[in-house]
Amino acid sequence: MSSETIEAPAANQQQSLTDKVLDQYEAKVYKNRKRHMVTVDHALETPQEIAANVKTVPGMLTHRGCCFAGCKGVVLGPIKDTLTIVHGPIGCSFYTWGTRRHKAIPGDDGLNLVPYTFSTDMRESDIVFGGEKKLMKAIEEGIELFHPNAVFICSTCPVGLIGDDINAVAERAEKKFGVKCVSFSCEGYKGVSQSAGHHIASNQIIRHVIGENDTPPAAQYSVNVLGEYNIGGDGWETERLLHRCGIEVISVMTGDGAVADMQRAHMANLNLVQCHRSINYVAEMMKTQYGIDWLKVNFVGIKSTTKSLRAIATYFDDPALTSRIESVIADEMETIQSDLDYYRSRLTGKTAALYVGGSRSHHYQLLLHDLGVRTVLAGYEFAHRDDYEGRQVIDSIKVDADSKNIETLHVEPIKGKYHVRFSADQLEDLKGSVNGLEYYEGMMKEMDNGSLVVDDLNHFETEAFVELLHPDIFFSGIKDKFVLQKSGIKSRQLHSYDYQGPYAGFRGAINFAHDLDMEFSSPIWDMVTPPWQSKPLLNGTFTNDVNFAEGGDK
Amino acid sequence: MTKRSKGAKTRNVKPEGTLEDLNVNPCKMCMPLGSVTAAYGVEGCMSILHGSQGCATYIRRHMATHYNEPIDVASSALTEQGTVYGGEANLHKGIDNLIKLYNPHVINISTTCLAETIGEDVPSMIFRWYESHPKSNTLLVSTPSPGYGGSQYEGYFSFLRSLVTTVPMDPSLAAAHQLNVICGPISPADTRFLKQMIKSFGIHAVMLPDVSSSLDQGRLSVYNRTPEGGTKLTAIRSMAGSDLTIELGEFVPKAMSPGQYLQDRYGVRCQRMNAPIALRDIDAFIKILEEFSGRKISASVAQERARYLDAMIDSHKYNSEGRACIFGDPDFCYGITRLCLENGIVPVVVAAGSACPEFKKHIQPQIDDLAQRFLVDNFDVVQAADFGDIERLAKKNGANVLIGSSDGRRVEATCAIPLIRCTFPIHDQIGGQRVRTMGYSGSLMLLDRITNALLLRKTSGFRAAIRNEFYDNTLLSQAHLHRQTQSEQLVAEAQACLDDAASDYTATREQQKHSEAVQKTKSHPCFTAGCSSKNARIHLPVAPKCNISCNYCVRRFDCPNESRPGVTSQVLTPKQAFEYWKDARKRIPNLTTVGIAGPGDALANWDKTIETINLIHKTDPQSVFCLSTNGLLLPRYADKIAAAGVTHVTVTMNAIDPIIGAQIYEHVNLDGNTYIGQAAAGILLSNQIAGICMLVQAGVIVKVNTVLIEGVNDSHVEEVTKKAAELGASVSNIMQMIPVKGSVFGGKAQVPQKKLACIRKTCRAYLPQMGHCQQCRADAVGTLYEDLSHLFLDKKAPHTQTSHHQAYRMAVASKSGLMVDEHFGHAQQLAIFESNGTSVRFVENRNLDTYCKGSDACLKEQSKDVRMQRVVSLLADCDALLCLRAGTEPMRMLADAGIEVRLTCDRIETAVLDAEQSLVSKGIIPVLSRMQSI
Repeated sequence: MSSETIEAPAANQQQSLTDKVLDQYEAKVYKNRKRHMVTVDHALETPQEIAANVKTVPGMLTHRGCCFAGCKGVVLGPIKDTLTIVHGPIGCSFYTWGTRRHKAIPGDDGLNLVPYTFSTDMRESDIVFGGEKKLMKAIEEGIELFHPNAVFICSTCPVGLIGDDINAVAERAEKKFGVKCVSFSCEGYKGVSQSAGHHIASNQIIRHVIGENDTPPAAQYSVNVLGEYNIGGDGWETERLLHRCGIEVISVMTGDGAVADMQRAHMANLNLVQCHRSINYVAEMMKTQYGIDWLKVNFVGIKSTTKSLRAIATYFDDPALTSRIESVIADEMETIQSDLDYYRSRLTGKTAALYVGGSRSHHYQLLLHDLGVRTVLAGYEFAHRDDYEGRQVIDSIKVDADSKNIETLHVEPIKGKYHVRFSADQLEDLKGSVNGLEYYEGMMKEMDNGSLVVDDLNHFETEAFVELLHPDIFFSGIKDKFVLQKSGIKSRQLHSYDYQGPYAGFRGAINFAHDLDMEFSSPIWDMVTPPWQSKPLLNGTFTNDVNFAEGGDK
Repeated sequence: MTKRSKGAKTRNVKPEGTLEDLNVNPCKMCMPLGSVTAAYGVEGCMSILHGSQGCATYIRRHMATHYNEPIDVASSALTEQGTVYGGEANLHKGIDNLIKLYNPHVINISTTCLAETIGEDVPSMIFRWYESHPKSNTLLVSTPSPGYGGSQYEGYFSFLRSLVTTVPMDPSLAAAHQLNVICGPISPADTRFLKQMIKSFGIHAVMLPDVSSSLDQGRLSVYNRTPEGGTKLTAIRSMAGSDLTIELGEFVPKAMSPGQYLQDRYGVRCQRMNAPIALRDIDAFIKILEEFSGRKISASVAQERARYLDAMIDSHKYNSEGRACIFGDPDFCYGITRLCLENGIVPVVVAAGSACPEFKKHIQPQIDDLAQRFLVDNFDVVQAADFGDIERLAKKNGANVLIGSSDGRRVEATCAIPLIRCTFPIHDQIGGQRVRTMGYSGSLMLLDRITNALLLRKTSGFRAAIRNEFYDNTLLSQAHLHRQTQSEQLVAEAQACLDDAASDYTATREQQKHSEAVQKTKSHPCFTAGCSSKNARIHLPVAPKCNISCNYCVRRFDCPNESRPGVTSQVLTPKQAFEYWKDARKRIPNLTTVGIAGPGDALANWDKTIETINLIHKTDPQSVFCLSTNGLLLPRYADKIAAAGVTHVTVTMNAIDPIIGAQIYEHVNLDGNTYIGQAAAGILLSNQIAGICMLVQAGVIVKVNTVLIEGVNDSHVEEVTKKAAELGASVSNIMQMIPVKGSVFGGKAQVPQKKLACIRKTCRAYLPQMGHCQQCRADAVGTLYEDLSHLFLDKKAPHTQTSHHQAYRMAVASKSGLMVDEHFGHAQQLAIFESNGTSVRFVENRNLDTYCKGSDACLKEQSKDVRMQRVVSLLADCDALLCLRAGTEPMRMLADAGIEVRLTCDRIETAVLDAEQSLVSKGIIPVLSRMQSI
């Protein structure tokens, strides 16, 4: 099998690789796509820039989802004590039913509605005559039947267009039934990807959920974990680690999460941000409203987890906590060390390509690095420039028409609930010693010179780069999994983990290494040949007349 | 409205007919998904969804998971601007890019909710696109498929209808005597089968659509971006010249039927029929092929039919117990319903997810016949159903197999009904593309799966089922009667034994009045109400085992707040009990009574019971001794009880009718044999009768306890008391059953106090009633009104002199924390206990790597050894390891390290004490003292 390692080529050699792919586009598309590709070169004086979060080209096979997917599917889906009603025709509800493997178990109140999906199942007559009444009745039926802690209403494409006022319905329903009702206007056509939905969900969580319950934490140190969706149990493993360290987790947003917990999120000492893309809004707004500092963490990967735990220790600066955290790290490391050594010996020298949502391509590179696997290409589906280049670029990002439509919520400090741990000066000092305090450095800084970064990788480019880079394994989702596997390339889904997990923390890293080793050891790969071994490179399925029209509306 | 309790939060089964506006877990998808699926069956056809990009992404994701194939669906990616100004520009650009990327012959432009709501005129947009691309050969098909317009079923036919109306038909292209076959959303494997079958008749047919290879590709040496296969465009164009169209779909709306269109427009006769699933419909399909081709069925197909029939005979015995819940699109439901009906499986729920007004009318009458034959009263045929409905109906009608898509997996889990996954979507298992349901062979494959699911259910649960059937009072089967006779015989035998003793009996009773026992009764707090607040009793929990299982009892509960018989914190050895009693006597001067009330049955632990009594009796002969028992072993021990100086025995007798007894006792275990139902109740009863009789003869005062269970023995208690009086019991104690969560009667209500008082009043006519019973714990100490046992909990045998050695340390593998119930290899942590001969003390938990990490990890011997070494060093201060099981290798390594491994499934305390005794007897010095001496 192709286990031969490729030495990292010099940056200029890699440049020619992107050109080999780009050269097949006509001038206009060349120009468009070139902005979405970067060959990492840390030697350059000016930081490298990449185009991201711009609208999808119609007719291309994008892997991106819609605003509704980001809001209902990603952020709200894992919350277990709410009745989330999809207001619209049946499809959207069906497609967000139990597909993301965000696991949940019933809380103290016995509620777990994650295995359910609820819809108003709008039919033709509802589109013509409006669906508000139906929605109101559906809320009543849902409350009667399931006794949720809150009702969330998510709108789909037609709802905004026929003028159903879900905000008004939510208000009326809350008054009538005495159960918190929150509306999310996350029609699929808003924004350019699911990213818009994350923002909309975050706004409403800030507006209606957080800050409602002032029950103080029980432990001396408490945190919220933001942007951890408990795929395959990752959140549980993260929580286990934090608990071992003696840190109370007030709420997880939103993996195995509960509105009941999120309502008192503002009582925590610190916000930990796992997925920066989807939920940095909440961290930022909580900082303004409640004065809670946030820390970018990453519990995927061994070194990353260690680094994150130590950052928490430095932030709280309590010798007792620090020594406890150190002993947890030492104990966890001792538990996994022999396995880690074994898997490293099996995996070192392999190469990988990653194309995932808006954080994982970065996080998993670091885990792969722990295992000796080198990343040759990485890309995000729906990230923004700051996820690639670091938060310092945020102010310079040009907001286009599509993103302007997504509300930016302006918040103020809340009197009586605003508490700061450090003065502004102290915080600035602390930022020097705590890695990731109120800052995300982005994916590119930690990538090797010469590796490729491609935003919104399309089908054609996937195939082209695979043939040029020969990665041993490609990490992505179900939509490209079968394309790759049919081509004889090993693949692993990083959205659903191919029904495995958890991959977070120290022990999760070993799970991941085990699954990877299994993938490489499977005898099936002895029986198939990757395309580059059986045919010449780029044999011309695509020719120079490939001519992408410019994307966009009028 | 009933009161809303906290527990009601988990009540989430949809009540009947109340939910019209909330869809709970849909049993259907949207139109574009169907449209895209059908388009995969046309050669060189790609779909573009006109709307926001999420629709395409969701559909790709769902189809890819089912078919395990790359699914390519484009989108016009409308954003907010597009919805305001119209999406024509986006659509045109999308079409351009799709053509450049994939060069499809046909593009299916399928609308979505968004496009239809903003009123996009796709046909005009297509017209204008052709105007700007006059040379294009690409055929653009406009498929109206708003998500709110129907389900994937309608979307599927909407595309096919649009396709045949758009394709420029040319009848001259048709081969002579050509057949059109239009099929619904079926699997690639079934499609391959149908093609083969039609071909075997020598018929030239156009199959539309044909997903046989496009949605089930083989591995190719070079990956091809557009899948091979599908109906060719020229073949579609020739459909207008065919002689006949067979449309496999009973419920296709006429306005969406491609066959109807070909008939109306081109005069091609359209014969609509069911998909060839199950005998009747396969035969009908084959008959048409025979007629059309003029050929007879081939020998091999005839053989398949014979084989199918033979298999149906083979499995009919199992199938006739099948009660199926079928759900999916209407045609699928119909086919599977036929399959079930022909095999004697009663479809008790048939639920179409799509709205389909014709559904019930077609299906219901066909089920009637079988339902009548098998006396099935309740079955439902519903349309526009969601899984809320399906779950409710499956429960209501007693379904025992679910047949449909993997979307039923939550019902499968909550209702514990096996699910046969055989239609789209199958997301949690593989092989969706290879599912076979059609033809004799396909129907047989599916039938086997259903039969095996029923068989598995039977073979894994038949004991419980048989018991419930045989001992259900409403069903007096032959076997039932036989059992009844048997138990009546047993009672009669006991009665005969009674009669033999009858002559001595009266005389004995006279003597009794003046006996020592009667005197002692006056100071027994339970037998004499007047002294109950003065005199204290101690219950010694030395009898852990029980030989019967009562439906109101869960003996593993141990909670100081639950003062109930059968409940205790700690089991004592006779020696510990003796120390405990001595200690208690010092503190409670009015301690007159020593009782052994379990926590199991005093007689089932005879050795321990008698040893305890003897120890105390030697010290204080004045104590009143009493025992509680269920009476099963009374005839064996009655004389010995009396000889040991026990003056009072309480027998719990809940019924004197084996039929009623069978409802109260789950089983009875006598001399290693387990009896259930009426046989069990009969044996228990006859032993109780004989035993009480013997006790009375021996001069022992007998109290009969009766647990009053609402709806079971409440009207029978009077009989019981009457019988107890006849037998010579002195006191009767009728008490309310305490419903214990987790027991069979856990859900039952308690008999109201008022009713209890009333019953006691009635029974007072036969025997004095003990109205002051407090239903004590098996380790109760103090007066009846003040249980002091919590003061003693950890102080049992506090001044013990017996601890002549340093404590032993034992590591225990326990999941529950109560029993030794875990395999060593699976244990993630071990609990460390210390024992000093009399008491057991929990020390700490220690975490360890699980030794067994599955075969993958076990291949790496080295890491295993390293791990084991670590475990051994972790247990260096322990004398023994107690676990349920352990591998031979770990046992050897632990033994080498001087740690004794004991396999047991006892309670932790018992196991630790037993282990300790064994260590002592072997003369092993505790590691701790060895360590100290070093």
